[in-house]
Amino acid sequence: MSELSTAFRAELHAVLGDRQVRSIVLLALVIYALIYPLPYRAELLRDVPVVLVDQDRTTASAELARRVDASEAVALTHDAPDMVEATRLVHERRAFGVMLIPDGFERALLRGDQSPVALYADASYFLMYQRVMQGAAVPLRQLGAEIEAGRLIAHGTPRAVALAQVSPANQIEVPLFNPAAGYATYVLPAAFVLILQQTMMMGLALAATRRRPLPGHPVWRLLGRAAAWLTIWAGLLPLYLIVLPVLYGLPILGGPGTLTMLGLPFVLAAGFLAQLVAALFRRSEVVQVVLLATGLPFFFLSGFAWPVEAIPAHLNALAQLIPSTPAIDGLVRVTQMGATLPQIAPVLWHLWALAGGLGLIVLAVETRSAAQHTPTACEEPAASGNSSR
Amino acid sequence: MLAVMAREFRLLPRRPALAGLVVVLPLVMLLVLGGIFRAGIATGMAVAVIDLDRSDLSRAVTRMLDAAPELTVTHRASDLSEARSLIVSGAVRGAVLMPPDLERDIIRGERPEIVTFYDNQHMSAGTMVARGARNAIDAALTGLRLSVRQSQGESPVQATVSLQPIPLQAHALFNPAFDYVHFLLAALIPTVLQIIAAAATAYAVSLDFGTGRHQRVLMRMAGGILPAMLGKVLPYTIIFLLILGLSDVALYGWLAVPLRGSLWLMASGAVLFVLASQMIGALAFILGRDMGRAASLIAIITAPAFGFMGLGFPREAMSPLAQAWGAAIPGTWYVQLRIDQSLRATPLDISAVSVLWLAVIAGVLAALVLTQLSRLSRLEAQA
Repeated sequence: MSELSTAFRAELHAVLGDRQVRSIVLLALVIYALIYPLPYRAELLRDVPVVLVDQDRTTASAELARRVDASEAVALTHDAPDMVEATRLVHERRAFGVMLIPDGFERALLRGDQSPVALYADASYFLMYQRVMQGAAVPLRQLGAEIEAGRLIAHGTPRAVALAQVSPANQIEVPLFNPAAGYATYVLPAAFVLILQQTMMMGLALAATRRRPLPGHPVWRLLGRAAAWLTIWAGLLPLYLIVLPVLYGLPILGGPGTLTMLGLPFVLAAGFLAQLVAALFRRSEVVQVVLLATGLPFFFLSGFAWPVEAIPAHLNALAQLIPSTPAIDGLVRVTQMGATLPQIAPVLWHLWALAGGLGLIVLAVETRSAAQHTPTACEEPAASGNSSR
Repeated sequence: MLAVMAREFRLLPRRPALAGLVVVLPLVMLLVLGGIFRAGIATGMAVAVIDLDRSDLSRAVTRMLDAAPELTVTHRASDLSEARSLIVSGAVRGAVLMPPDLERDIIRGERPEIVTFYDNQHMSAGTMVARGARNAIDAALTGLRLSVRQSQGESPVQATVSLQPIPLQAHALFNPAFDYVHFLLAALIPTVLQIIAAAATAYAVSLDFGTGRHQRVLMRMAGGILPAMLGKVLPYTIIFLLILGLSDVALYGWLAVPLRGSLWLMASGAVLFVLASQMIGALAFILGRDMGRAASLIAIITAPAFGFMGLGFPREAMSPLAQAWGAAIPGTWYVQLRIDQSLRATPLDISAVSVLWLAVIAGVLAALVLTQLSRLSRLEAQA
């Protein structure tokens, strides 16, 4: 028991007592909390600038332009005489789409013919493309429906019948959770989980590269360390998952009990993984760089921003070994979607399996290295202590 | 300077940690990132159907939903709360509700509602599900409208024409294949490389310019502080450019991303980008005087850099502060240059601005590194 508490106190000291480890674990919180969300503060993309090339210059074309301009998604900010000038504006990123109303637009409508309109949307940016399409397609469809109904009525169809024939059913789309499609609401809850994992692993792996061997059985030492992590991150986890989201005005639906149940195996799994990373790369410099470089790939591997349906199966299987993969899924579902424990039971089991499996591997590695280094135990820490300076 | 460079190349295989950082790590990251996005688009995302009508029409809509490439109908829910629970637990990404008497109401002209619920917390997948469902339901309803018109004696062609008085001819500028994959990849690789180039350079510099290291030996060997620094940094510039080149070969060759612009401009941008990233690392080390603090400084600048590049949420819509922060990061301009010159075929006079910015960033950082270094070596000489 005293071995356990020695290890517990040593790990607390290694994390909170070491200036560098402390700065990674605590300072990172402040900095990342300020810098990461900065690009997304605007939340919504409104009034994306679009160039109007109106070659018809009639009442009908002006009416169409007015309706598109009135949409929330786009604004017709520029007028250009031809496509060459319009494309130039798009190249300069002063506009992200071109609406071309060809000559003869109104005449064709009056004749009862089809009268096409061309929309060129900048597809090099996904969100811009989506908004430009949305902004033009909805008013266009409405105007088209009105014209179709008008023609039917002109041919003697009763008004109600004409409307029903033009659109037999009402299509309604209801976005659940993040109904306003805010970008910060979408990306930040997941990003905070990843930042939590990466900074935690960086700090703990750094502490591990500097650790001197302690007396006692590896099981007690490991349990003591794990207890120290849980103690420290019992304070930090709520900061990332509750306080930061509240500061950024994100919705929080999940209760603290469910969060704790998920956070417990997550902290353990990430802590054990950090021990393995430290054992594998040994030098603190390398550990830091590796964890820095893997942050973004881990995020995309988690299947949050890039749907898991699009990730090749073997890579996805590999991704399941990273704690952030189930943790992002589970924590986002709990905090943002109000999932209950039974609803995310598979995630919970997944995290516990990771914590247990990684813990056993760490134990095996440490038991073996302890057996190897017992005779030279005094030289080893001195050498590793130097290299980390 | 060449002597220092030769020494650096000679020492590299004997420093496995450094060699691992500059060669193995970027290559592994390249493989992983390439692997993630290789498949291209998400297909077969799970949706539930709440069919309270159980008519020919509702079955036709269900078939249309299942036939959409984005979607697979995996569950049939008996009510809304069951569907909601399926969405919350992640079993499905959306649900389509067809109310009782849907078919009868449509025939009577009462315009009933078909409602699509989708998980917009997972926005990228959610919007795809919503779009797939919208198109599938549209297709089913268009079939219905066509058959009504044909039953009134219109020819199929005529009926199709009258259904759409103003057809929208949508063109995707610059990216006709809608390939966001290669697009994301083309930005993610420089982002990760920026982190590695900065950190590895800081580490390499720390090995010679760190406390207790033989910085003066190096300076005597090169004959001055500028050649010493260049000799130290340039070997890694070459390595990172080779890696970047390899990723470009994979991207434009193997994955067949279009390359429409000036290779020459792209190449000069790449050199400036790698140099600027390295200067971030060198400056971080010189300011931090310690690899640990340097790594923290590098992390602050390069780790959140991806968001500021505007590939997800566009730069133009960010706050001025976020735009300014992004403008100070070399990766922002390099990725913009790549997009301009590979996909958009941007006229050179517009695209040159990105290269100019890269040059300014690299120049300012290099000047800061040199002034700091010479100040330190003067201090050391006095001591």
